[in-house]
Amino acid sequence: MYVTAKVDEPKCIGCKLCIFACPDPNVFTFVKDKKKVVVNPARCKGCGLCVSVCPKDALVIGNV
Amino acid sequence: MSKAMFKMTTAFADVMPAEYVELVQSGPFGQGYGVADLGSFKELIEEHPLCAGCGLALAVRLIMASLPTPEDTVVVGSTGCSSLAFPQIALQNIHSLFGNQNAVASGLKRALKLRFPDKHKDVLVVAGDGATADIGLDMVMHSWSRGEKLATIMLDNEAYANTGGQESGMSPEGCVLYMAPTGKKFKKIALPEIARESGCAYVASVTPVQPRKLEKAVRRAILVAREVGPTYVQIFVPCPTNFKFKPQETLAKAKQREKDQTYPLREFITPEAQAYLAALEGGGKHD
Repeated sequence: MYVTAKVDEPKCIGCKLCIFACPDPNVFTFVKDKKKVVVNPARCKGCGLCVSVCPKDALVIGNV
Repeated sequence: MSKAMFKMTTAFADVMPAEYVELVQSGPFGQGYGVADLGSFKELIEEHPLCAGCGLALAVRLIMASLPTPEDTVVVGSTGCSSLAFPQIALQNIHSLFGNQNAVASGLKRALKLRFPDKHKDVLVVAGDGATADIGLDMVMHSWSRGEKLATIMLDNEAYANTGGQESGMSPEGCVLYMAPTGKKFKKIALPEIARESGCAYVASVTPVQPRKLEKAVRRAILVAREVGPTYVQIFVPCPTNFKFKPQETLAKAKQREKDQTYPLREFITPEAQAYLAALEGGGKHD
């Protein structure tokens, strides 16, 4: 079973802390217009470091 | 390296790997991106086989985003967990024999100086604690004593992590690992102090908890190594696999060690390096 990070978009404030905490490259993309982050589930290993740093609880680790 | 290397023949664009096309279109070469821009450009590192929640992978990712001029940087690595990540980076890199990284880098730096006398070619040594503090300590210390203009970065996970968890010189006293069940009986090597006394112009120890600080230390190390002398940066990278904690606790562990002073963050700068950095940073210029 594969797990991945998921963004709860209304909660995301675009602080980018998850991007600085993620050990894998190019998992998060910052969308400048919306000021939100987007997860690429194919690259995510589901470690949960992004969840541990998110100040708004906008991220969860769940099944693909 | 010429930036023309990152252009594609248009006829082949449709058969190129998607990651490569992305790197050419939105890579960081010649753009002057830093850690703050992560998430809006294609990173130099690609999918790597390191464990989930690996602090070392995070540090490598942040180092790659901190390079002042990635197109003119050569990375010399050595055996260890970090050597699993280096085949996935879009820079010229050399995998040296275990512990030889600073000797290889010394020769490389001298050759680049002869070949490109009017250009800065940065040689960055990135190796683990086993390669830097144990097996390669003589090569590392001699390169510092000779004043080779190299930036040496140690990714300190405090164990030989990819061979099953043996204790290394950088493991803290009393540390219990899979292959050190009775606990380590000696103290952690004080490599930042050794580096300072061996002639390094800039020494810092940082953690990936503060990415901007890490970026600043790596940039300073590379810039000082261009003109002044050898530099050393030690990055604490907790290992969830060998230290038996959950992958999401990596940053909390690093923060805890920093808070209770068991992993003190330090920075030593010689007056000469300080003057050089002040001239560079005073003008708001990083490269």
